[in-house]
Amino acid sequence: MRAKFYIYQPWLTLIARLILGGVLLAAGGLKIGNLQKSAMAVRAYEMLPVGLANFLGYALPWIEIGIGLLLIVGAGVAICGLLGAFTMFAFIIAIAQAWARGLSIDCGCFGGGGAVDPEDTKYLSEIIRDIGLLALGIYLYYFPKGKFGLDK
Amino acid sequence: MATASGGDKGTRNLVIAMISFIVVVGVVFSLISSRSNSTAAIPATVSETDGYGIVLNPESTPKIDVYVDYQCPACRMFEIINGGYLNEVIAQKKAKVVFHPMTFIGPESVLAANSAACAADENKFVDMNLALFQNQADSENSGKWSNEFLVELGKSIGITSGAFKTCVNDGKYIKWTSNVAAASAKADVNGTPTIFVNGKQLDRNTEYGDQAKFRAALAAGGVK
Repeated sequence: MRAKFYIYQPWLTLIARLILGGVLLAAGGLKIGNLQKSAMAVRAYEMLPVGLANFLGYALPWIEIGIGLLLIVGAGVAICGLLGAFTMFAFIIAIAQAWARGLSIDCGCFGGGGAVDPEDTKYLSEIIRDIGLLALGIYLYYFPKGKFGLDK
Repeated sequence: MATASGGDKGTRNLVIAMISFIVVVGVVFSLISSRSNSTAAIPATVSETDGYGIVLNPESTPKIDVYVDYQCPACRMFEIINGGYLNEVIAQKKAKVVFHPMTFIGPESVLAANSAACAADENKFVDMNLALFQNQADSENSGKWSNEFLVELGKSIGITSGAFKTCVNDGKYIKWTSNVAAASAKADVNGTPTIFVNGKQLDRNTEYGDQAKFRAALAAGGVK
């Protein structure tokens, strides 16, 4: 069993890198063309002071793109996995608190965002998806060495 | 790792440095371009202290702030349900009403907001506001709202001046829309429509979609 994992681990790392990196790259890329909306999406969580929320709304898409690209090319995988996991953790907290407080918002994960009708929220599926991505990030922190990466 | 060749490590570090540089430049550039621009042309009815909104009845009280995006379907519904009463309030000078045309839905929101500001210069803002919602496309940024279309829309409500046409075609107030966006962001407006009466936000779940409740909310804020 352990020997098998030894063989598959670099491939699993590659797959985890491509999934987490691809999702982050897509999430950032879809937001970058409309940063006004991105800032609005962060404000809608009503979690941070307005100034900080607006800053994050403008900065986060770039950071997502950066981490996503680094994971895809396999440079600095351990630290990027950890950063990706941390980002997902923050998203989970943000979505869960919005849900618990009864806010009606779109997560704004892939563009969009802001206040929506109560029946249009989908908090549970967003949290489940982010838990999966969080797990990939943690896996990459512990097993950063994979196939076709720049890290040696 | 100790066995790695220097060249490989160099490539990796170069890639990390390049990507980090792009991220930092992107963040800084985005933050700078999100700030409001004090040199932007603004319509005469716009007040910087009122969040760069278009002000109707500046001398009246109470103050009603209306944040919309002309492409937002919920804003169109709000206009259909409560626009009539709000326009009555404006016509009878029962309140100072400040319109903040936001542009987060994209390019056609910017063109529409610009045309509304051009109409404000012709004292036709209220009519243009209504006409835009009545002519909202079924989907976002569909191509329907071109400057040609908006000039014709102005004509349909009686704006025939050359100044209006030039204002729309030149995008005279496009920079101003960024100022509205920056001020709306500072005011913590997270969706549209958003209405404040004397700074107090109305309840999105009940007071926007119901004529009686909307009237009651305005009355509670001092609209007689």
